[in-house]
Amino acid sequence: MSSLTESRSVTGRQGGRRMPRLFGEVGPALPAFLLIVFFFVAPVVALLLRSVLEPVPGLQNYETLLGSATYIGVFANTFIVSTVVTAAALAIGFPVAWALVVMPMTWSRIVFAILILSMWTNLLARTYAWMVLLQRTGLINKMLMAVGLTDEPLTLVNNLTGVTIGMTYIMLPFVILPLYGVISNIDKAVLRAAALCGANRWQALTRVLLPLAAPGMAAGGLMVFVMSLGYFVTPALLGGTSNMMLAELIAQLVQSLTDWGLGSAAAFVLLLSTLVLYGLMLKFFGTSRLGGQ
Amino acid sequence: MLLDFDRLGWWRWALGGFTAAVAAFLLLPIVFIAALSFGSSQWLIFPPPSWTTRWYSELFADQRWLDAALNSLKIGLVVTVLSVVIGLAASFALVRGRFRGRETLKALFLTPMILPVVVLAVALYAFFLRLGINGTMTGFVIAHLLVALPFSILALTTALEGFDKSIEDAAILCGASPFEAKMRVTLPGISAGLFSAAIFSFLTSWDEVVLAIFMASPTLQTLPVRIWSTLRQDLTPVVASVSTLLVLVTIVLMLLVALIRKGLSKP
Amino acid sequence: MTVPFLKIDGIRKEYGPVVAVEDVNLTIERGELVTFLGPSGSGKSTTLYILAGFEKPTLGDIRLNGQTLLSTPSHQRNIGMVFQRYTLFPHLSVGDNIAFPLKVRRKSKADVTERVREMLKLVRLEGYEDRKPAMMSGGQQQRVALARALAYDPPILLMDEPLSALDKKLRDELQHEIRRIHHETDVTILYVTHDQEEALRLSDRIAVFSKGRIDQVGTGPELYADPATRFVAEFVGDSDFLSCRVTHSQGGRANVVLGGDFAVEGVPLHDERGTPGEGALLLRPERIDLSRSEPTGWRGLPVRVDDVTFLGSNVHVIAQTGWGETVSVRLPFGHEHISGLSRGDEAWLRFDPNEAHVFV
Ligand SMILES: Nc1ncnc2c1ncn2[C@@H]1O[C@H](COP(=O)(O)OP(=O)(O)O)[C@@H](O)[C@H]1O
Ligand SMILES: [Mg+2]
Repeated sequence: MSSLTESRSVTGRQGGRRMPRLFGEVGPALPAFLLIVFFFVAPVVALLLRSVLEPVPGLQNYETLLGSATYIGVFANTFIVSTVVTAAALAIGFPVAWALVVMPMTWSRIVFAILILSMWTNLLARTYAWMVLLQRTGLINKMLMAVGLTDEPLTLVNNLTGVTIGMTYIMLPFVILPLYGVISNIDKAVLRAAALCGANRWQALTRVLLPLAAPGMAAGGLMVFVMSLGYFVTPALLGGTSNMMLAELIAQLVQSLTDWGLGSAAAFVLLLSTLVLYGLMLKFFGTSRLGGQ
Repeated sequence: MLLDFDRLGWWRWALGGFTAAVAAFLLLPIVFIAALSFGSSQWLIFPPPSWTTRWYSELFADQRWLDAALNSLKIGLVVTVLSVVIGLAASFALVRGRFRGRETLKALFLTPMILPVVVLAVALYAFFLRLGINGTMTGFVIAHLLVALPFSILALTTALEGFDKSIEDAAILCGASPFEAKMRVTLPGISAGLFSAAIFSFLTSWDEVVLAIFMASPTLQTLPVRIWSTLRQDLTPVVASVSTLLVLVTIVLMLLVALIRKGLSKP
Repeated sequence: MTVPFLKIDGIRKEYGPVVAVEDVNLTIERGELVTFLGPSGSGKSTTLYILAGFEKPTLGDIRLNGQTLLSTPSHQRNIGMVFQRYTLFPHLSVGDNIAFPLKVRRKSKADVTERVREMLKLVRLEGYEDRKPAMMSGGQQQRVALARALAYDPPILLMDEPLSALDKKLRDELQHEIRRIHHETDVTILYVTHDQEEALRLSDRIAVFSKGRIDQVGTGPELYADPATRFVAEFVGDSDFLSCRVTHSQGGRANVVLGGDFAVEGVPLHDERGTPGEGALLLRPERIDLSRSEPTGWRGLPVRVDDVTFLGSNVHVIAQTGWGETVSVRLPFGHEHISGLSRGDEAWLRFDPNEAHVFV
């Protein structure tokens, strides 16, 4: 009997210590949590509120955004550039990722090093290089004229062409690295089996390899598309003043025009598109690829 | 067969050639900047008429560039320390804790990484104007910490997940207090993750442009802000010399990461 | 009454809705080597972790020399432990690993050096001081872990399947070492394993775990000869079970009928419910005799031989009763009835009812 009372007292103490134990487990996350809530969640929510409160409460900011040809033009630019960049990055990225899987190690190591170097090189430095490379007297135009593809220099910068080239360059590693992961996980035996079944190379590619890599392409493509939607630096430097993209518009509305209501509404449109697309991605591909950079 | 190099036939030349071309495309701007920074042409004619170190001299003679670099360094170091410390604590909770909503909390911590930076920049800009910390060191540090922290948390949760908790338990049974066991056993055990977290945090802050453009004031600029505002005016070759130095910094840090990973994987 | 050395008293551990350990009671004498034997998931590790202080029991108490251990945090319990996984500190050399608990205890430098040397000698790894753990084999790492756990002279050593990751040969070798070290030191060892051979080889006593409970505690021979539950009978030693009907029971003995008409009388009965009914008759394959011809003088259980396998020192016969149950029999090589025995042959089995058990 005495052991029973003792046991009870032990449980009693345990009950009393549940909260401290839980705090001991969650507690260390508190600084990060407070930082994020106070300096991330709160400011973003406050910004979104401004879009329906300034200058007067109502939805007029969204009406302006969606009702004016200028702003619709910006949305269109953003959507078109993001789509082209995504398609180009996938088209270029797939063969490279595939090659990285099959290449001898020595070679693939070099390509990986270049990929990582390019990814981690300062964004402004890379964009600056393209500004110079693409200008009328730049190296690219010189080369094009030298091989006779064009007689006079093309306008490759200060327009959406420049933006598309520069952004494709920047997004390539973000497609190649996850695709490499997907393709290297495909069992070689499956493709050998396809060959034994009589598929030629082209059939093996279109009917086996591409379908197997498709989920990776979709995930990588979606990620690049989302990143492109909100890209600021490269469009601002390589693009012209006449054809802006969404991120630039937001910055300009807020910083130069101090039209906080309209700027916040534009920011909300961008945020919502991003979240919806990420939601889709999570739904179809799970969390694993979120941190895939 | 498509995944066996030997059996690709002529396709492997096509694939190899294409990859080489893409690699060249990726490398081109980086090599190009370096070459340009030593070219004598003010108008960035390439190939340049002659070679010079003039742009580097101009760069080092200009106090504004040096100040900007120093600011970047200060902010980067403070952000690195805070990001690793806060990230480490959070990672312990995320990996070791057994509370509900752990996954959600992790997702919340990682969101600043996936949201468009421009939205965060505008939101923080408005918020900091109210708080009166726009254009201050504090403002910069907070802004950069927000985007550096996810990298730190990713690196450290991965490292902690890979570190067997039984090793820490063994240290505790050996008589070390839980804190002592973490300091003397767990942290040395995840040192590779700590280094990655630190380097990624630093690079994130060091290279960050968008937030910085909004946080900057005429008297407080970081290196990227200074490059940005210079580029908006003209394409001076001085930027090429800064960019080249930045590429060098990146290469050094990358090598450091590679060396540390190698060194720690086979002690 | 003297105070027991270590008393595990009514331990229960719940993880949410899962009851990992239920009503575990055990008294352990100083210097004993007790194994916790049971299948995976039966609560052995949980019990050990409660002893180590990494988990708090939902109910119950642990007492060392009469004092509760539960209020002492893990790092002050002065208990040694060797884990299933390799837990050497990866950044420290072998010597520094063993020195760790001593340095934490602020022992003098000379004492530490001396003790590390002694420990390396105890586990026969002299000269390995400066090796890093990653450069050692699994067996060597577990020896170092053992040295580290014993360096501070703990009264109790916990071992959670320390050899399960090693191959058979190394395991035999280390089992031998553990026995030697147990004799050389007077440490009390609680050893978790799911391997009955290991348990039988190492322990003074075995506690058999099943579904979070201890089914039986005893020496190997006790568990073998007199299993308290069907589970223990199955887990310790080889076993044949035949379904039977209890026709009469009295004083712990029962009369049973196999297959409708084969009566066995006076079999020890377990889990007595006091009513006749269906049960299972336990036989040990090596305690069954086999005859090729209808025996005279005793009534044999008629069977048909299904398979005969030669296994070195003995021969394994699988046979089927008339009503379709399988019995395996282990006969010594050279047994008079083996030669020429083959599939399809008729045979008769004999066993001593006193050595059989009925579980109801
Ligand atoms: N941390 C935990 N959370 C939830 N259930 C657990 C936990 N640890 C163990 N269990 C459960 O408790 C039971 C006993 O586990 P354990 O003691 O590890 O068994 P053993 O060591 O005998 O294999 C198992 O059913 C297991 O799933
Ligand atoms: Mg276990």
